[in-house]
Amino acid sequence: MKYVTYINEKKFEIEIQNDGTLLVNGVQRDVDFLTLDESLFSVLMNNKSYEIVIDETDGQYDVLIQGRLYTGQVLDERAQLLASRRGGLGVESGELSIKSPMPGLIVAIPVSEGQEVKKGQTVIVLESMKMQNELKAPRDGVVQRISVTVGATVEQKKLLITLT
Amino acid sequence: MVMEPQQTKIKKILIANRGEIAVRVIRACRELGIATVAVYSDADRTSLHVRYADEAVHIGGNSPRESYLRMENIIAAAKKTGTDAIHPGYGFLSEQEDFAQAVADEGMIFIGPSPDAIYRMGDKQMARETVKKAGVPVIPGTEPGLRDDEIYAAAEHIGFPVMVKAAAGGGGKGMRGVYAAEELPNLLAIARREAESAFGDGRVYLEKMIEGARHIEFQILADMHGNTIHLGERECSIQRRHQKLVEESPSPFMDDDLRRRMGEMAIRAAQSVNYVNAGTIECLVDKDKNFYFLEMNTRLQVEHPVTELVTGVDLVKEQIRIARGRRMGLTESVLEPKGWAIECRINAEDPYNNFLPSVGTISTLLVPTGPGVRVDSGVYSGYTITPHYDSMIAKLICWGDDRGEAILRMRRALEEFTIMGLKHNIPFHQNLLSSFSFIAGRFDNKFVEERFSMTTYEQSPSESELETAAIAATLFAHRNRQLAGQVVNRNERDTSNWKWLSRWERVHK
Repeated sequence: MKYVTYINEKKFEIEIQNDGTLLVNGVQRDVDFLTLDESLFSVLMNNKSYEIVIDETDGQYDVLIQGRLYTGQVLDERAQLLASRRGGLGVESGELSIKSPMPGLIVAIPVSEGQEVKKGQTVIVLESMKMQNELKAPRDGVVQRISVTVGATVEQKKLLITLT
Repeated sequence: MVMEPQQTKIKKILIANRGEIAVRVIRACRELGIATVAVYSDADRTSLHVRYADEAVHIGGNSPRESYLRMENIIAAAKKTGTDAIHPGYGFLSEQEDFAQAVADEGMIFIGPSPDAIYRMGDKQMARETVKKAGVPVIPGTEPGLRDDEIYAAAEHIGFPVMVKAAAGGGGKGMRGVYAAEELPNLLAIARREAESAFGDGRVYLEKMIEGARHIEFQILADMHGNTIHLGERECSIQRRHQKLVEESPSPFMDDDLRRRMGEMAIRAAQSVNYVNAGTIECLVDKDKNFYFLEMNTRLQVEHPVTELVTGVDLVKEQIRIARGRRMGLTESVLEPKGWAIECRINAEDPYNNFLPSVGTISTLLVPTGPGVRVDSGVYSGYTITPHYDSMIAKLICWGDDRGEAILRMRRALEEFTIMGLKHNIPFHQNLLSSFSFIAGRFDNKFVEERFSMTTYEQSPSESELETAAIAATLFAHRNRQLAGQVVNRNERDTSNWKWLSRWERVHK
């Protein structure tokens, strides 16, 4: 089975053969991967011992190694095919949804539909946990659709704004 | 001649709080053989304090107004369970004199100071006047409501730089720093307009601006037998938006003479309101070691464990002992702390995204252990952090023989601490504890907001570290894919998959 794995946006081609041999970018690696529970693993590589915690949500992999968090995606052949048809992976192009990271109250929407925004620009102010939180555009783009209004109470993961 | 106070028996304590501090108080009660009653809101049925207590009473809805701030519900819970005493924890009703009074009116003991002391320290202007009479230095300033010409004269008298602050105050609105006399008329007008539009009240007052100030506080203990002592200081300058993030005891800024002088001041401030039980005197200390009273917190503090670790005093047990009318264990102030203690507040906030709060279910929780490590928390693996309460997940406290050992131990413990399922600020603490300014003890209360960056000390991961993560993620995905493909019969899924997988793992080393 061949996978393309992105970690912190760096690409690795990883192949797991039927006999269990593991190749990274064509080079064989000896890995002892022991499952301790659903998300906790003990990994030995070249006698180096790692305790690794892995979580997956909606195709996003969080990998914690020695207090350091790595994030990425693992694409099998089918997913790679879909990604190439979509015109590439990542957030640099195409439609991008900004969703509510937590339940809260929309207190301000400092942008309007059709407006150009820069990466890091505040697009929504959400009040939650007794604080006003500014949600920012993850990249440059144009506000295509605003799906909420000021004063609305939103649930977690509610679609707020679509950028193109 | 002081009358010997009546000693009272306490057999059952209700904790009018939630989360980690409720668990902390329950632990002290367990050690003393005192029964405990937890109270909880709808959302907190799953909280750890409910599981740890001997009894638990539901007191209302998720909003604090419907539960933890509802005096009558808490008093009713206490009466229903035959409670003798109520521990308020911190926040919620802990600094409301009418709650302390209501508890006393029902013939129960409030574990804290008298309603009068809470009231007199609760009103900030009154507290300032009270401690000033006792010879405690306060930040030079004026009363609110002066005319412009009076403010010009007062500013000259206080000396620049000064802060113009809105009487109705809050959130930095109507607040301006003024560095020279010629700037004052213009900035004063701006501050008044801002205050008028934000609060409908254009009154302002002046306060001397303390530049490069540190937030240093003293722990006070006082019993009913006339003893008032301090347990040394806590350094709390590492804050963001007035929220403390890291505290330590002692302070790297302290010397013996300053500790003696500030300690005496703190005791005088507490005595000025006949304070009994545990309390904290918060101060600003400038670069030249001049100190000014800010306020008194008439309750246990979040950061009390650092004092416990360097003094050996269990503050909660001492609070209960004092409330029983007994003499405190110590009768002398602590002038030489033993070793060094640091606390990191672990919050559900994303340090890479402007400290945005995070909610969600903790999927994995591995708590650090080993020498010199203490964790006070109210969460567990599978627990869901909700938006109803503050974002603190746990307090990680490390003790070392000296500050260097405490820092290294904290770095080790932070590396062990694993919390998955939501964003948290452990990376912030790791960066902070690697920063030269923190290690050298050179920081003030603006350090985090003005001079700290998450990227200064963070090294980008090496190629091989990224590869390790990539291999792990891929094997995880591969395993889940194989498991999913295996499902034939739901009932047999777990065992058969496990066997298959462990075989795979053993074979393919």
